[in-house]
Parts: sequence; C-alpha cells; structure tokens
Amino acid sequence: MRPFIEIENLKYVYPSFIPPHAGGQRGGGGQIVALRGVNLTIEQGEFVALIGPNGSGKSTLARHLNALLLPTAGAVWIDGLRTSDAHNVWAVRQKVGMVFQNPDNQIVATTVEEDVAFGPENMGLPADEIRHRVDDALAAVGLLDYRQYPPQMLSGGQKQLVAIAGALAARPSCIVFDEPTSMLDPVGRRQVLDTIRRLNAEEGITVLLITHSMSEAAMAQRVLVMEAGRMVMDGPPAIVFERGARLRALGLDLPPIVDIAQRLQAWGLPLPQGVLTVQDMVDALC
Amino acid sequence: MLIQVENLTHIYNQGTPFERVALREVNLEIEAGERIGILGPTGSGKSTLVQHLAGLLKPTAGRVLLEGTPIHSKGATARKLRLQVGLAFQYPEDQIFEQTVFREVAFGPRNLGLDEAEVAARVNWALEMVGLDPVAVAQRMPFTLSGGEMRRVALASILAMRPRVLILDEPTAGQDPQGRRALLDKVGAWQRETNMTLIVVSHALEDLARLVERVIALREGRVVADGPTRQVLSDVKLLRAIGLDVPQPVALLQALRQAGKEVRVDRFLPAEAASEIARVWGLRGSVT
Repeated sequence: MRPFIEIENLKYVYPSFIPPHAGGQRGGGGQIVALRGVNLTIEQGEFVALIGPNGSGKSTLARHLNALLLPTAGAVWIDGLRTSDAHNVWAVRQKVGMVFQNPDNQIVATTVEEDVAFGPENMGLPADEIRHRVDDALAAVGLLDYRQYPPQMLSGGQKQLVAIAGALAARPSCIVFDEPTSMLDPVGRRQVLDTIRRLNAEEGITVLLITHSMSEAAMAQRVLVMEAGRMVMDGPPAIVFERGARLRALGLDLPPIVDIAQRLQAWGLPLPQGVLTVQDMVDALC
Repeated sequence: MLIQVENLTHIYNQGTPFERVALREVNLEIEAGERIGILGPTGSGKSTLVQHLAGLLKPTAGRVLLEGTPIHSKGATARKLRLQVGLAFQYPEDQIFEQTVFREVAFGPRNLGLDEAEVAARVNWALEMVGLDPVAVAQRMPFTLSGGEMRRVALASILAMRPRVLILDEPTAGQDPQGRRALLDKVGAWQRETNMTLIVVSHALEDLARLVERVIALREGRVVADGPTRQVLSDVKLLRAIGLDVPQPVALLQALRQAGKEVRVDRFLPAEAASEIARVWGLRGSVT
C-alpha cells in the first residue's frame, strides 16, 4: 500500500513580490526559494511534529499538503492522488484539513454550528448529513453545548477548537496544524493539544503539527526538522532531541526536561535513554 | 514615580447586554527603569491594562498618570506623553499597513520629525535589534514575510520610535526558540543601556524569568500578585489557581521535593534546575 502522504523532491519558489518602483537597496531581489527538494512519506495514523527556525519552509510545505500551493518542481501525492492534477484538488482538500495559527482569521459565521457547517454546505451535502457531521465534529472537540454561541464570545482556545471542528466536518483523514497554539494562553493550549492527541489516538486521524514548542514536538511519535527549505532530521523525539548541539546550531532548542537530562548526563549522572517528561525524570532519579 | 494607576476600572459595552468588566479598581506604581512582566489567563484584563498605560483607552473610572499627568486627557501635554509610550501589539496584522518593510519601520520616526538620515539609521538599528537583516528585508512587502518575521517587523517599528516606556504584548509568540532568546537578550541589553521602562505581557514564564525583575499577575480584572519575578513564578499554587502552566523545570523540582529530595523549587531555567539537581545529588557540575 502506498503511504498516505508522499512527497518527492518537492521544490517551491515564491514569485517575486518586490514592487517595481521600490527604491533603496534591493535585498538580493527576485525570487524566494522556500523548498529545495523535500522528500517525505507519512503513513495513515501517524502523529508527526515539524519544527524548524522561522522562514525554514514549514508553512510552505504544509500548504502543499492540501493543494493550497502546487509544486514548482517535484510532486506531492495524498492517498495516491497527485495534488498538481487539477481534478484532484477537491478530493485532496477533503482528505487533508488545515488549522492555522490565528483562530480569528478562520471563523466566518455568526454561530459556532453555522461556522462548522460552512465546509459541508459548500460540499453540497444534504441537510440531515450536514446536521449529523456538525454534531459529530462539535462532539469530537467537546463543544456541543456551545453550538448556538457567537464565536466571538468564546476564548481563544475554544475558537481554535471551532476551527478544528470545521476541519473535522469534512471527514478528513489528516489534519495539518500550523502553530495552532502559539496565540493561546496555557488553558487554551492544553485544550487544543488534548484534542489533537485524542483525534489521533481515538479517531486515527493523521496529524502533522507545526510548532515552535519543543515540549509539544516531544508529544509526537516522530519529529521532522527543517532548515532553509530542506528536511534535515527525521526520527522519534528521543533520537532527534539527543542531537542538542545540532538543534541549537539550527536556532532550535531542547524540551526543558531533555535539556536538564543532558546536562546531568554530561556531569556524570547515569540516566536512561529517552527521558522526555517530568515523570520520566522523576522515575530515573528517585 | 513614572506611572501611577489609581483605582482604574474599565467596563466594555457598559449598559448593554454585552457589558463586561475588564479591570476592577486596579492600583499600581511603576518607577522609571523598571522591568515588569504582566501575566494572567485570557480575559484577565492584561491587554486592557496595557492599552490604558499607553493612553489608548478612556478609563470608566480612576486614572492613569504618566509623570503626574493623566495620559488619556486632551491637550498637547498628554499627546506628547503618549508619544513616549510604545505599545507593540500581539497581532502584527493590527498595525502593519505600509508597502515595504523599510517604510513600515520608518513611519514612526518620520512622524517624530526626524531627518531622513536619522530615520534610515533608526530603521537599520531596529531591524537588527529584532534579528532581521536590513539588506535582505528592507524592500520586501511586509505581507510576503513569514508570520514570525512579520511580528518582528511590527516590533521593530515600535523600537524605532525609541520610546521611554516600551510595552510588548506577547513579543515572542510564533518565534523560533533562539530567535526568541536573541530578541529578549537584545531588548534586555538595550533596556539596561537606556534605563527605559519595559513592560512585557507574556504567557511564557521562561521569557519573563529571563527579562523582568517584577511580575504582576492579573485574574478577572484584579491584581492577584505583585512581587519579585522569582517569588511569583515559583508560586505553584498561584500559577495553578490562575490557570497558568508551571514551568517544566519547576514542576520537576516540585516532584522531586515531593519524593523527599531537598531541592529548591525556584529555578525556572533548565540550566538552573540542572545545577540544583547536581548540587543535591553531589555531582561535579554543581558549582556554576
């Protein structure tokens, strides 16, 4: 069987946006190369985190997974469908949902349920099927009680859950989360992360989580690291985070507990491999 | 006293069904040159408070004084005072409007009436402060930048004004870890050099631990804690009560303490926590 996501030698160049009359110095001018030959496969049901410094191409890569962007060169297949074939676009977008950073930019309707219904309505589904999907999606994120609420009355975390429900209503196999927590307070962050974990574990939804939080990345089964448009690391969190010096050189960091563990090991304290959480560390030390 | 907040109350949509009390009789005093962090959950009144400090909102009751003058009042004196307070919003989309990064960052300094040479110097300086290469970005359209880069441009446009009071609302959201550390280090160094007053709103307790000496915690529009950073941020009970995450190093030290180990818990940064564990476990690296 083919993997759910297959990316082959993907290159992407943003067209030049420099206005022709702009005076002053030119910043190298011309095109911005965002992806320089990315190869990647992700199986159905995986929970994958993607980290990398600002401008390394994470969001550009994510936007290729549901055909918001199409490759300049190379190819992307979703469940065997090549995204650059125009007749595949809607099938691809049904299979891969996207949730972005700022919930306020993703909400379009005046009540929670209307917002979640927006996608299924656009798919031209019958009314009772829409009702069914909206209720399922709201139940999956724990917002059934809020269905009549105007979205602006919700907290940031709840709004982000509405955005997730909107993605779920299309019944996708995979959801790409592009920094879904970076504008949320800790309560909202926990709500969103718990929901993501549950959707992956219980509903079998393939998750790609783009994040700047190394602790969030440590929740995934697999961590991808990008630098300057290339994929430079790919492995389980315990293996990727072992390479602290390399990550730091990339402008990244370690999850705090891994950082503490590596310092203690360097000072001669024997610790088992793969210490990621407070509980791991307490078990190892006490 | 640089800033005095006296019995400040703010009610949104007063007298309508959407009435919401954002601040309830808040009193604060801030000295020139202080570095202050403000934390609290969503809806606790943080953003409302900093907008008052910048003179952008009219109090429902009470007042905010900057050097003794109500900052929101009409007239030239208050307007001049407001120009000395720079507030960088959390969402760069809310403040970016120019065609190029250069013009965006130059907008404030030009409004101050500076000559073009000084404007250009300030733009370069401010972009470097936020970790952007002026040559590479000056002529790009702000909306072609990544989300994290756009946020840095928004911050640079405030820094370029060289305000006496700099207020940053979640300055490191969406920044990669080292970009965020570099940004905090540079802002911190500049603050010490100029003795500017710095006020930082953040959920990121580690960022606050690095940058500020005093932390004010808000909950439901009231000040529930105000004290030295180390004291407030290691108050696990308080942090949990206001729905904030305990920093992982503190959570680890707390768990070790509960397991009977004699560790101090007020160590927020991984290096500090590692040294504390090394000390108690008698490791070589314990002296740092």
